[in-house]
Amino acid sequence: MKSTAKLFAVATALTITASQVQAGAVMDDVKANDEVICLVNPNSPGFSVPDSQGVFQGFNTEFCRMTAAAILGDADKASIRGIGFSDSMKTIVAQKAHMASRSITRTGTRDANPGMSFVVTTFYDGQGFMVPKKLGVKNASELSGATVCAEEGSTTLLNIADWFTDNDMQYKVENINDKSARMQAFFSGKCDVLASDLTALASDRQLAKTPSDYVLLPNIISNEPLTLVARPDTAFETAIFWSFQVMLNAERLGVTSENIDQVVADLDNQPKAVQRLLGSDSAAGEMATALGLVDDWSYQIIKQVGNYGEVYDKHLGSQTALDITRDGTFNALVSNGGLLYPHPIR
Amino acid sequence: MHSLEKFMLRLSEKRTRTLLYQGLLIAFILMFFYIACVNVNNNLAAAGIHIDYGFLFSESGFDVNESLIEYSSESSYIRALFVGFLNTILLSFVCIVGATLLGVAFGVLRASQNWLGSSISFLYIELMRNLPKLLILLTLYILSINSLPHVREAYQFFGVFHLSNRALYFPTLIWQEHMITVFLTCVAALIVVYIYRRYVNHFKDKTGQDLPFLWPSFLFVGFVFFLVSMILGVNYSFDFPALQGFNFAGGGEVSVQFFVLAFTLSIYHGGQIAELVRGGIQSISKGQEEAARAIGLSYLQTMRLVVLPQALRVIIPPIGNQYLNITKNTSIGLAVGFSDLVSVMNTSINQTFRPIELMSVSTLIYLAICLVVSVLINAYNNHTRLEKA
Repeated sequence: MKSTAKLFAVATALTITASQVQAGAVMDDVKANDEVICLVNPNSPGFSVPDSQGVFQGFNTEFCRMTAAAILGDADKASIRGIGFSDSMKTIVAQKAHMASRSITRTGTRDANPGMSFVVTTFYDGQGFMVPKKLGVKNASELSGATVCAEEGSTTLLNIADWFTDNDMQYKVENINDKSARMQAFFSGKCDVLASDLTALASDRQLAKTPSDYVLLPNIISNEPLTLVARPDTAFETAIFWSFQVMLNAERLGVTSENIDQVVADLDNQPKAVQRLLGSDSAAGEMATALGLVDDWSYQIIKQVGNYGEVYDKHLGSQTALDITRDGTFNALVSNGGLLYPHPIR
Repeated sequence: MHSLEKFMLRLSEKRTRTLLYQGLLIAFILMFFYIACVNVNNNLAAAGIHIDYGFLFSESGFDVNESLIEYSSESSYIRALFVGFLNTILLSFVCIVGATLLGVAFGVLRASQNWLGSSISFLYIELMRNLPKLLILLTLYILSINSLPHVREAYQFFGVFHLSNRALYFPTLIWQEHMITVFLTCVAALIVVYIYRRYVNHFKDKTGQDLPFLWPSFLFVGFVFFLVSMILGVNYSFDFPALQGFNFAGGGEVSVQFFVLAFTLSIYHGGQIAELVRGGIQSISKGQEEAARAIGLSYLQTMRLVVLPQALRVIIPPIGNQYLNITKNTSIGLAVGFSDLVSVMNTSINQTFRPIELMSVSTLIYLAICLVVSVLINAYNNHTRLEKA
């Protein structure tokens, strides 16, 4: 009898339990627990890496902090947890976390999953190529016949195959699973080209003996809109979406974490848009009441986290090792030729 | 006696009880698998996952590094898996041959009286037995791609072979019609040589005299080859590899990762086989060796003619196990970009999100390969076994 019970237990453990999907109540859960559980990549230089105290730092972690500042008034109430890629989506669907800010590409099939909602794109990435400078290649169209290194099993392989076939060019692929073997293959010239997401290439370049010996080609062969993912709940999703708009608007209006106290002290003499963004009896205040955010949520986001430009410069900009150019790319504000379009707060 | 008493009495017999326990065990195992299968099936259905192998025939959309057959990103998944299967078979075969040669050489050396040889062999065996194979592979891979030259400065051999940190490039024969006829004629000539060999052996058994074998055979096969080629007017021309743009074009190539993998698995399993060979040799009574030496056989002759044939009986079964391990261990190739079965399967899973179908197909393929190896080993084992063991 005992062994039968054991057998049943093991058999049950073998099976996959489908989780129930419920909508709503995420906002209440965040407030009840006084924390936002936010999933990030455990090791992605510039985007999320643990510091010497074990606290995650990076571009992606700032959006966890943004959400906590808006809903709970304190950015440090974001409980940031590192987790692998496919597990992060499973964790959201299983309702064990509130949101994920870990460079998840928004795709149609993923969005069709009722267990998670894609809220707003924080970074427009794309797959590109890196080559040694001495090769003299300026454009990927000159790569006919080249050997391309890529991660084994990744969608990168598909994009390369599509691109070279579409452009009617020959190539040879080296799909190497082990990262150090892959990087060595590229740096030793076994491959002419390394293909990956632009952001990954920027951080991989740092592994070279002389990073300046390598250049990223301007061609972007796939669209990777890296998007914040939330557990489905209209109020929660709206809060995240507009918090992000606050960061974009603040950048356009020149409000930073440094100058915000002066701006607020002299609010009456500011442009109308700034007054609507930061005044308590303005559009922002109305939104706070309707969505259940802290009264001065927009102030808290900018004060504690900063505007989008500040966050970008701090983690990815020219002052950092990653040095990912922003001007003229998709990740600039619309006013600078990018795709980031600040929605009106009014 | 009542039937119940009879039954209880039966139950006290050891044979009945054993049967009963075994029957129960089998019933439990069957039930376990039945419950697991039903459960998995129900849960997959509930999660909206339906097992369907139809996708295997749709376009794969990815490329592989090396293939023995025609393949492009427009080929089907099943063809991609077949490419991986052939690569796995080729690598396994090369590694089995390499590991056996190394294993026998170092095993014999280890069992020998020669202090230096025995010590070197001991060092080699211990190194291979105590290092993880993935570490050996990555170390050798990174060493070779860094020490071999870039493709533009490739080493040249005889003007036709080129070696770079990408691959070894070699000329290939340009296929012409009638070549198959020449090939078949040569095979026929080789069969004649084989018959002659049996006659030579027979002659030696009868008269104790050696007939010339090697040079007449070579001469005969060479003569047949040239004669048929001339009659049919076959030209032998080669496609030479030449540097063109980023890479060599023309000819054939074997990638560096293939060499590194073949070398790694050969030395790794060679070390394990050497231990088996040493054990086999030492299981043979010392008297056999002493007797062989006493009638004037050299050390190598003693090994080849007396000791090894007897040791084989002990060695074959565990070596078969090693061969199966080699076949399965070729899957570490994905770490360094060798397109073996597991590498292709992984990529396919990531593209299609059909892990159950792809893993079941790969499992069946590996099972089939290993069963074939097993059958061959068992056949050879039966062949070497004593008639009455």
